Amino acid sequence: MKLEVTGLTKCYGKTRALDGLTLPVETARVLVLIGPSGGGKSTLLRVLGGLETADEGTVVINGNRLLADPAALQTYRRKNGFLFQQFNLFPHLTALRNIALPLEKVHGHSPAEALAMAKQALDRFSLLDHADKLPAQLSGGQQQRVGIARAVARQPEILFLDEPTSALDPEMTAEVLELIQELAEAGQDIILSTHEMGFARAVADQVAFVAAGKIEEVSPPASLFDAPKSALCQRFLSRVMRY
Amino acid sequence: MSRRQLVSNALVALALVALFGWLCTAVFALLGTQTDWSKAWEYRETLWRGWLVTLQISFAALIGSIFFGLLFMLGQRSPLVVVRWTCRAFLEFVRDTPLLVHLLFGYFVIFAPLIARPLGERGFDDKLIIGVLLLSVFEGAYLGEILRGGVESIPRTQWESARAVGFSPFQVYRYVIFPQALRRVLPAMAGLFVSLIKDSSLLNVIGVAEYFYNTKNFISRSYAGLEGYVPLALGYLILTLPVAWLSHWLEKRFRHET
Repeated sequence: MKLEVTGLTKCYGKTRALDGLTLPVETARVLVLIGPSGGGKSTLLRVLGGLETADEGTVVINGNRLLADPAALQTYRRKNGFLFQQFNLFPHLTALRNIALPLEKVHGHSPAEALAMAKQALDRFSLLDHADKLPAQLSGGQQQRVGIARAVARQPEILFLDEPTSALDPEMTAEVLELIQELAEAGQDIILSTHEMGFARAVADQVAFVAAGKIEEVSPPASLFDAPKSALCQRFLSRVMRY
Repeated sequence: MSRRQLVSNALVALALVALFGWLCTAVFALLGTQTDWSKAWEYRETLWRGWLVTLQISFAALIGSIFFGLLFMLGQRSPLVVVRWTCRAFLEFVRDTPLLVHLLFGYFVIFAPLIARPLGERGFDDKLIIGVLLLSVFEGAYLGEILRGGVESIPRTQWESARAVGFSPFQVYRYVIFPQALRRVLPAMAGLFVSLIKDSSLLNVIGVAEYFYNTKNFISRSYAGLEGYVPLALGYLILTLPVAWLSHWLEKRFRHET
């Protein structure tokens, strides 16, 4: 994917979550956003994913400019996937229905078709045993995996993941990260934010360090993690890598 | 249950039965031979017709209150501040004034002069229709608040996830928010519907020939007492108990789901 983000600004009341953020990415399969909490990673992802509109600035993804018009954004969201930290699934529907319902109601597949596709999506990540369980009966890791299965059930152009493992224990984190890596290796375009530095390094083509609503630095993982140029990034990395 | 609890329970039950028995005996002793159930039997057709009208009113006002409730709920969530405020003010007014006043004022001052004649000419019972409308608005105001509470209690991530999978604003409500919100507000809604059935008796003040109105007429014509009031209470219980039971049953069913 190719990404040109220019002068993006987003304010919530007096806080400037994004402050004239500019991010050019020539080409990347997996783009990882790292940085301190409250630095603007989530807001950037939400704008890129079409869930929020920026106050100023432009986003061009793969040559298409992102519009602020609600109908255009809805169409845009329909061809991409988005996953939040937690509570992605609809608690009143089984895992299978969670995946089948959007296929049926959003993408116009017949009920039988949607069900078959949903089963296939669950099977792909060996979740078929859990098809008829409600989200409350699944572990946090399983919930996130079903959430990802739902997001990729219809081959999204780009998959957005907003700290997909932040609410999970280490073991579940591993199972979710493995799944994401699998997707990346299968050729899925992904933009994700994370605090898992080891994972970022392993999976990313480009890593962007986001702090105070700006991109401090963006480069391939090897150079960003081994030789960060910006002082902020150096300090951040030395702190999170210490333990 | 321990032995001690068993004994206490038995004692309290005995005391309650004794008290109720004494009350009944005292009342019947006072009424003496005056109680004559054949009076109620004589008027059975009027009572039955009144009960059917009450059933109709309740059913129609239930549908109507759902319509107004949804309208008030959506109005309060409107992106337009003027709509929100107007809605809020109207709801406050409706909720903070007695239904009796709405019925009298709404019927005699507003609607009767406005539409009673055209309705009558077309063969409709204007009192019934206007009464149902006013009752629907009144209960709808409460329902609107109940629904708003339910909708607003659904966590933000659910709205976000629903938007993220590509649902339109209508679909977000239809498939994600309402199914969850309704489960939460079901007990409150059932309580409201029970109130609605009971409140329908107030329609007698504008002359709708419903169950209470007909019973009242029967009592004043035949000088009945107990023979009038007991069927009156039973008639309303027949309508309200199924609603209460249904809500308990649904509540239990949904509790296991989440």
